[in-house]
This record gives sequence, structure tokens and C-alpha cells, in this order.
Amino acid sequence: MSRETQEVDSKVVTSEADTRGRYLYCVAENSQEMDLGNIGIDGNNVYTIPYQDISGVVHNCPAQPYESKDNKVVEDWVMTHETVVETALERLGTVLPLGFDTIIKADEEEDPEEMVKAWLKEDYQRLREKLDKVKGKVEYGVQISWDTKIVSEKLIEKGQELKDLDQEIKSKPKGTAYMYKQKLEKLMRGKIEKEAERCFKDFYEMIKGVTDEIKVEKLKKEEEPGRQMLMNLSCLTDKDAKILGDELEKINNMDGFFVRFTGPWPPYSFV
Amino acid sequence: MPIDINEDNLKHGLLGLVIALVEIIRDALKHQALRRMEGGSLNDEEVERLGSALEEIDIAIDHMKEEQGISETVKSVRNGLDDLVDDVLDQMVNPERWAKEEVKK
Repeated sequence: MSRETQEVDSKVVTSEADTRGRYLYCVAENSQEMDLGNIGIDGNNVYTIPYQDISGVVHNCPAQPYESKDNKVVEDWVMTHETVVETALERLGTVLPLGFDTIIKADEEEDPEEMVKAWLKEDYQRLREKLDKVKGKVEYGVQISWDTKIVSEKLIEKGQELKDLDQEIKSKPKGTAYMYKQKLEKLMRGKIEKEAERCFKDFYEMIKGVTDEIKVEKLKKEEEPGRQMLMNLSCLTDKDAKILGDELEKINNMDGFFVRFTGPWPPYSFV
Repeated sequence: MPIDINEDNLKHGLLGLVIALVEIIRDALKHQALRRMEGGSLNDEEVERLGSALEEIDIAIDHMKEEQGISETVKSVRNGLDDLVDDVLDQMVNPERWAKEEVKK
């Protein structure tokens, strides 16, 4: 028993060594002072600093940013940052996630806790509006890709023009056949582009029907050879994930299409 | 990230860059050839000759890439250029996103 108190004491001493900064994970719609435990970056104690009906979720830290040349270390920090935001989402309700390395600093004579409150107060209107916007909602990531080979084959099946050209190539002399092959590829690219546009519109409408807000993100290169990403979306919704999941399942079941569905996340893309 | 330069990977990288550029020029030639063929300004014999020449260039490039083991380097140079062009186009097509990224910086 006495050993336990000692440990707690020593923790208080070390954490008071340099705590002019408050590392902010997110702003939560919650007015309670709460201790979330030692779940923070480097095992720091995470707790809330309330102002009116909102709180900053923080840990005490030195008044300088987290920096490391080691990518692995930074990766771990960012991962922890995300886990804390997710925990806050579970335990405190609606949250506005903040970016990694958001730190509020206090000068010698200032109380860092008051500085956080002052920030919450100053930006209260803006934070409040954003909280209302994402209230009770979570974010899902949706990435849809297709297999270019399967799509090409399907297009040749459908298009008489392509089929004819494909046949014609076989009857031509070598050099001419080469040129015709280029022509076929060019036609193909055009058709694929049109098809991609059509699919994008269709899928967008499907997903729009079951979400509150969609953000179109930049396409990424697919790791898997032969695959190409068609659309990369962040979706904000307050509905059951199953509704969106069912809709995506329909797309995933189409021949040559693949859907990656991730979440629920805190609404990172909508704050 | 430090760049590790030794004679071997310098040669490798330089060769990859050169072949990537040759490929891009070849693609431009192909594009032009196709346009002329489709425009009807070439007779059958000319189409045949042009096609053969371009095919030989393809074969020569593939052969060189395989022999020197630079297929991956060439691919990454071209992907890098593609990404660059992608970014520029994206900024022109979506000025909003561009403005946002400027603010972030």
C-alpha cells in the first residue's frame, strides 16, 4: 500500500519537471473533468480541460514540438495520437480531431491550463459550429478500384468497333498491325476513361444516398498490379455502418470491382 | 533522407532516367504517327514502314531495360513525373484544394 502511494508521488514529481505545454489531441463536446488514463504519447496521462460545454483533451508536455529523425518513432506517435482521439470519441462523445503535434504553450508566469481554456474560449463559436456539424457522426473511408484487364475485356465484348479492329489487326502485315494495335489501345483508353466517369457518377449517387456528406479525395496508386483506383472518398454519416456497407457490397460484388471500406474514424476530413 | 551515391547506383539511375526520356519521346512519336495515319496522309506502305520502325524501337528499349536491369528505375522515374503532372493538373482543376494546402503551409 505504501509502495503504491510512493509510485504515484514520484510520477507527479517527474511530470512537473517541464510541463509548460499542453499537447492537444482533440476538442470534445463534454463538460466534465475526466481522466482517460496513461494512454497518451509516451504513456502520458490524458485528461480533459473543460470550458463551458466543450473540453480540450490533453496531456502535459514540455513546451516544444515532438520531433524525431526516426520515422518509426514518429509513426508510433501518430498512431498513439489517433488511438487517443478514438478513445475520446468512444468515451466523451462528439470530437473534433486535431492534427499531430498541436501544442499550446504557456510562458513562465502563465498557467498552461488557463491557456487551453483561453483558446477554447476565443475559438468557442467556431468550435461549437463544427461540433454541431459532426455531432453524432463518424467518418468512413471508401476506396473503389477496378481491374483494368477485366474491364477492357468487357468493353471489347460490348463494343463492335473495338471487336472489328481487334479482328482486322490479325489480317495486316507486321508494321501495319503494330499501328493498328496502337490505335486499338488508344480507343481502349478513351473507352475506359468514359467508363470510369460513368462508374464514378453511379457509385457517387449510390453512396450519396446513404451518407450525409462526401468528400472526394485524391486518387492513390494501387499497390496491386493491374488494379486502378477509381474513387477515394471520405464519408460522413450518422447512420448505421451497415447501410453504407450494404451499398458498397453491391459494388464489390460487380465483376472486376473492389471496395475498401475503413472506419469508423473520428471525422478527420470534416473539421 | 540521405542519398546513397556510389558509382553503380549512379550509373543505374542515370541510365534509368535516359531510358525514361527515350520512352517519353517514343510515346510522342507514336502519338504523331497515329494521328497521321488516322488523318489519311500516309499511304499503306508508309504506315507499314512507320509501324515497323516504332515496333523496333519498342523491342530495343525493352531489351535494354532487361539487359541493364533498370525496368523498375524507369518505371519509378515515369511514375514520379506522372505524379508531378498530376499534382499540377489537380491544382488547376481544383483551386479550392490548392488554396487550402497553401493555408496549411
